[in-house]
Amino acid sequence: MVEPIPPAFLFILGAWLIPFLKGRMKQVYLLLVPSLALIDLFLLKPGTHWVYPFLNYSLVFAQVDRLSLIVGLIFVIIGFLALLYSLQVREDGQHVAAFLYVGSSLGVVFAGDFFSLFIFWEIMAVTSVFLIWYQREKGSLDAGFRYILMHAFGGCCLLAGIVIHFSTRGTMAVGPLGNDLASMLILTGFGLNTAFLPLHTWLPDSYPEGTVTGSVFLSVYTTKTGLYVLARCFAGADGVAFMGGAMAVYGVIFALLQNDVRRLLSYHIVSQVGYMVAGVGLGTDLAINGSIGHVFNHILYKALLFMCMGAVIFRTGRRKLTELGGLARKMPVTTLTCVIAALSISGAPGFNGFVSKGMVISAAAEKHDALLELLLVLASVGTFLSFIKLCYFTFFAKNKALEAREVPWPMQLAMAATAFLCVFIGVYPQSLYQFLPFPVVYQAYTPFHVVGVIQLFLLAGLVFVLAQRHFAPHRGIALDFDYFYRLGGRFFLWFCSAVLNAARLGLQERFARVVRATVHFSRDPLWLAEAATRFMELKIHEGFSLGSKHEIDELRSEFKEVRKMGRAYDENFYRRPIGIGVFLALGFFFILVLIYLKA
Amino acid sequence: MKVLKTLYGLVIGLSILLGFFFGPDHAVFAWHKIPSWDAIFGVLGALGLLAAVKGVGAIIFRGEDFYG
Repeated sequence: MVEPIPPAFLFILGAWLIPFLKGRMKQVYLLLVPSLALIDLFLLKPGTHWVYPFLNYSLVFAQVDRLSLIVGLIFVIIGFLALLYSLQVREDGQHVAAFLYVGSSLGVVFAGDFFSLFIFWEIMAVTSVFLIWYQREKGSLDAGFRYILMHAFGGCCLLAGIVIHFSTRGTMAVGPLGNDLASMLILTGFGLNTAFLPLHTWLPDSYPEGTVTGSVFLSVYTTKTGLYVLARCFAGADGVAFMGGAMAVYGVIFALLQNDVRRLLSYHIVSQVGYMVAGVGLGTDLAINGSIGHVFNHILYKALLFMCMGAVIFRTGRRKLTELGGLARKMPVTTLTCVIAALSISGAPGFNGFVSKGMVISAAAEKHDALLELLLVLASVGTFLSFIKLCYFTFFAKNKALEAREVPWPMQLAMAATAFLCVFIGVYPQSLYQFLPFPVVYQAYTPFHVVGVIQLFLLAGLVFVLAQRHFAPHRGIALDFDYFYRLGGRFFLWFCSAVLNAARLGLQERFARVVRATVHFSRDPLWLAEAATRFMELKIHEGFSLGSKHEIDELRSEFKEVRKMGRAYDENFYRRPIGIGVFLALGFFFILVLIYLKA
Repeated sequence: MKVLKTLYGLVIGLSILLGFFFGPDHAVFAWHKIPSWDAIFGVLGALGLLAAVKGVGAIIFRGEDFYG
């Protein structure tokens, strides 16, 4: 019997072999590792495995239950599809970064203690940034630095929270947390990765700057690991539920303002994760099922959307809606799969978004949370409008100037397979429901739900058609909360350069003066006595008008001469202070000896 | 195009009509009792979001080189 290992290790250890493989062998290997991880997942039995004692507590690398299994399952499936999509990438570094990123995300999912969770959490942040930097543009370099700074802040909050939690509770086990200081710090760390408002800005800032394939990975793992740990530690927190509703609406409003296709998709991650966060905050069995089901579905359609827009950028080099259009005939597979993904994210009946989004909205109604229900339905309307806009202006609006052809077959295959899963789960929801954390009693396809969603979309679509001019994209950017962070960053830089650096220079100059004076004085310690004597002599003559003016002038010039110390080097002149110095030192030691003997 | 528009109008009319026959099993909130509430919310929501986008956009929309 083969013993399963934590799937994280397969990816993390497997990454180091990639640079040694070439050509077809490497492509097979890239797909073999996630395939093995999938088999490994099915071999994992519920319970606690791979426990290692470390200092005064235990590292748990495989805490296996229904929640970790379903999230691990979708992470591995999409890892396979995203690697299939990126088979044509020649840079080994991108594949290594992707493997480490996927592996560390799986590490977080199966971590049973906060310490190993934190380690995998940080590996995620450090490895994922390379998927942005490999784009090798100034914009991506800058966005990558902002990304890593934000995640460093989140990581610090998380670590501080974990340390306080351990020192007060004495346990490192990952489990439900309260609302003390440690929990709030941990929530801030988790919330930053889950794109809580207003800590979300790293997401729409960096994901559009990633490589064509890198952004597919990015769209999946960071926010969903954040959501997963929220479900583990903060299920049922009311504030979290309201945050989810706010994220859902905020995301769609900002998505509707975007011109960059991948920035539009990034704001929809904020919005869709809002549904999941709301589900976690509601905390009922139905809500948690809906939330985790939405994680599963969202990963599929969002990765597909990033694949489709990546394909458009790959072939046209354009990423702005104002520069796109007319690609439906030139890239039919991309167009069809993008429309499927758009219908899925909108929650249209027959597609996977419908079967999980409805659960979260029903859970809000079941818990009599009227505001949350309305916010989530409003976000559905906005999502639909936003994706009509994306599909229309990318594929169907007239643009004869744009030349393009379909992407290579591995990319098409990855998009087609992901689109198939979106439709399959939409048509046969039981295939997903059987893996959810709690038994499912929810009926997705009731006439009320189906007719309601169709009405919602038809009428919202009518508004789009009638007011199409107002939904048209414009060249420009929409400022977000990062405006204030950048302002803070600029103030910090100014403070460092203008205030701290000026203080350093001032201090350095004063210290240098002391050093110069000391050097000056130590050349001839007797000079001070001589200069003082000459000075006194001069002042007495001046004060009491002793001597003629000529004599006083002579004294003044003598004093200036002594003060300058500009005399040529005179060997005998310098022997004297050294001799005096030695004499003083001997005298000092002699006195010390006397004091010692007396004592 | 005219056929499409007519067809679209007919489908909207049909969906609103169906809304009168298929209500929720259990109306939690008052608006669940309004027949075809989702059609009303679809229009109101889309118009509200459009207004919000226009309002927010007027404040925060800037040129592409705003950050240099």
